[in-house]
Amino acid sequence: MQNNLTFKLPDNHNEKQFIGKLADQYALKKEPAVTERFTICDTFDWRLFNKSLVLYASGNRLCLRKLAEDEILHTAEITSLPVFIWDFPDSELKRQLAPIIKMRALLRLVEVQSRSVPYRILNPDEKTVAWLAYEEFRPWRRKNRSALVTHLWLKPVKGYPKYLRTLAKQFQEAGLKIRKKEEVFFKTLEVVSKKPGDYSAKVNIQLDPNWRSDKATKIILRFLLQVIRINEAHIDKDLDTEFLHDFRVAIRRTRSALGQIKYVFPAKTTDRFKKDFAFVGKLSNELRDLDVYLLNEDKYKAMLPPILRNDIDPLFDHLRKKRSRALQKVIRGLKAKKYDKILKDWEAFLNEPQRDSVTASNAKLPVIDLARKRIYKKYRNVVKVGSQLLENTEDDMLHVLRIHCKKLRYLMEFFSSLFPQKKINKLINQLKKLQDYLGDFNDLCVQREYLLNIIEELPTAHHQSKKTFAAIGSLIGALDNQKQTVKDAFAQTFSDFASPVNHGLFRELFASTA
Amino acid sequence: MTTLALYSNKGGVGKTAAAVNLSYLAAQMGAKTLICDLDPQSSATYYFRVKPKLKSGAKGFIKGGKSVYKSIKGTDYENLDLLPADFSLRNLEVTFNKLKRSKKRLRKILTPFKAEYDFIFLDCPVTISILAENILNAVDYALVPLIPTTLSVRTYGQLLSFCNKNNHDAGKIYTFFSMVDRHKKMHRETIATVTKAYSGVLQSFIPYLAQIEKMGIYRAPVAEFSPESVASRSYQNLWDKVQHTILYADKDKRALK
Repeated sequence: MQNNLTFKLPDNHNEKQFIGKLADQYALKKEPAVTERFTICDTFDWRLFNKSLVLYASGNRLCLRKLAEDEILHTAEITSLPVFIWDFPDSELKRQLAPIIKMRALLRLVEVQSRSVPYRILNPDEKTVAWLAYEEFRPWRRKNRSALVTHLWLKPVKGYPKYLRTLAKQFQEAGLKIRKKEEVFFKTLEVVSKKPGDYSAKVNIQLDPNWRSDKATKIILRFLLQVIRINEAHIDKDLDTEFLHDFRVAIRRTRSALGQIKYVFPAKTTDRFKKDFAFVGKLSNELRDLDVYLLNEDKYKAMLPPILRNDIDPLFDHLRKKRSRALQKVIRGLKAKKYDKILKDWEAFLNEPQRDSVTASNAKLPVIDLARKRIYKKYRNVVKVGSQLLENTEDDMLHVLRIHCKKLRYLMEFFSSLFPQKKINKLINQLKKLQDYLGDFNDLCVQREYLLNIIEELPTAHHQSKKTFAAIGSLIGALDNQKQTVKDAFAQTFSDFASPVNHGLFRELFASTA
Repeated sequence: MTTLALYSNKGGVGKTAAAVNLSYLAAQMGAKTLICDLDPQSSATYYFRVKPKLKSGAKGFIKGGKSVYKSIKGTDYENLDLLPADFSLRNLEVTFNKLKRSKKRLRKILTPFKAEYDFIFLDCPVTISILAENILNAVDYALVPLIPTTLSVRTYGQLLSFCNKNNHDAGKIYTFFSMVDRHKKMHRETIATVTKAYSGVLQSFIPYLAQIEKMGIYRAPVAEFSPESVASRSYQNLWDKVQHTILYADKDKRALK
């Protein structure tokens, strides 16, 4: 089957003349104009755009297509625009989007109106053998409503490929060019001042290996500050859990950078901001914990025997109430003078002009040297602790290893632009696997503890509460079992990471030659 | 996916008109629909303004696969495709007879299309031999238009005993009344008798109407050129009955099993 062809119209294109000329050769039948309004959606961090996908809602239909292509990949019927993936109707579309959107909210980016005037092209039997249509797109409900994109498309009818070929050739001879790039998506977003792909929580910093270490570190920290500011502005709207998450990760990275990129700033400054950011991080610990429980609600329920599955609901109701209180607390914390001052002082420090009088021993060191030194040191820490754990797998030490890994990961990400991309990415991915494992283990421990404590808080007046306690007990049991299974897998997971190949690569990239 | 044949062992009973209109109505619901014109007279093909031509003729048709796929034409209506007839299909019976597994050939030809379409309608020529067996083996249901006259009812009886003799499930055969003239006492009486005597009788009546004959002039389904007409409404009613009495009921039965 042939695809639709979309043509760009030259500036001097005259619709009437063009159609008139065509009518000399073919019987044409004009059909009533079709107007359609649609809303383009994506997550705040452009998860669909990053996969070259465009999702839009039109009437009671949700459609997914590829960027720069007209063909619709999947559709689903909806009664209202879904915000989260769990609001989607069960469909292929949902299955396709679930691993991409995950827990992020879909935002309505822009509303667009399209108007198309279709013509049937008829053969001597008056059978439709192709369609063409003029189509224009305008922003909906905006002051400036002039057409943003106008084009002409040609649609084949199955079994009549020759007509399409002939027409396409004729169109091109008349100066129309086949459109290959996406226009509607970019131009309409431009109207609402949105730049696709302009936000990502991933560390993306270009450093020069010869820069002074203090300069490079400030660049890293300024990037993180930007992420903090962007997300902080959205936390109070409570659109989804990831604004807070990205905010917290950026804070944690800031703290890690202050602690791990050693002796680049005066000790007094470093100490002050380390304390300040520890305070800022703590502000939202409770809220994030609750978010994690609630995001995993279905997973927990699946762990329970079916007979107890609904009895756990009072727990989650309780957690939901707790969460809305915790959210208010965080919002207040972010509005407080103390937070404001910390961030403003921090910003001022990062924007201070570079000083030549060096007050810290590593400040003038080329950043590549410092990066190598710090990463290799951390890597050796990880290997040391990991090796001890191979002999005796203790819970506390697993926690220590997790923290070391996190620090190593952050360092590698901060400085990744200084090293061969393929090689460092390979190591980051290997490290990520180990971290995922340690993260799972930690979650199981923390969650088990938390559930034990929450029993104290749960209101007991509820007539179902006994069963609820039974359900929580069953959940704790399930978590305990899982914890043991995960623990048993440590040796294998760690050996994968500390393989001779990886070790060689770590040495090659980071073992200081100087 | 459901395959339905509009079939009769008697000519001029309104098979093609029903096949064209039912497939159109199915497609209008949003279901991907294919109508296969197996009748060398190619009336269904004519109604859709398509040339009666298959790639490599009946030979290509029997071979199946790509050459059949390439012969499919998009109709003027959304979701509705047509596999046109070809004059060479008149030899289909003879050709099937010469082949191995001669009774399941059509089923094999249609199999690749079952994934792509929600409904496949077959507009069949008059037959009660090996082609009839091919049709019955290929479809989920056969809809038989019945003119409420003595001769028609007699032929219907013949069809059912043909099924019994050749081990075809008579349960997939449904009938509806076609070209009905309610003014005629005999039509009314025959309808009553048939309804009592047979199972699988859909309570749906396609009247004898000039509007239906005009399909040849407009070359379009009735619902397209005369949507409010009695003719259009009676096909809609027939389609509703087909869905509720056959398709949904069968789904429920299967679900229960």
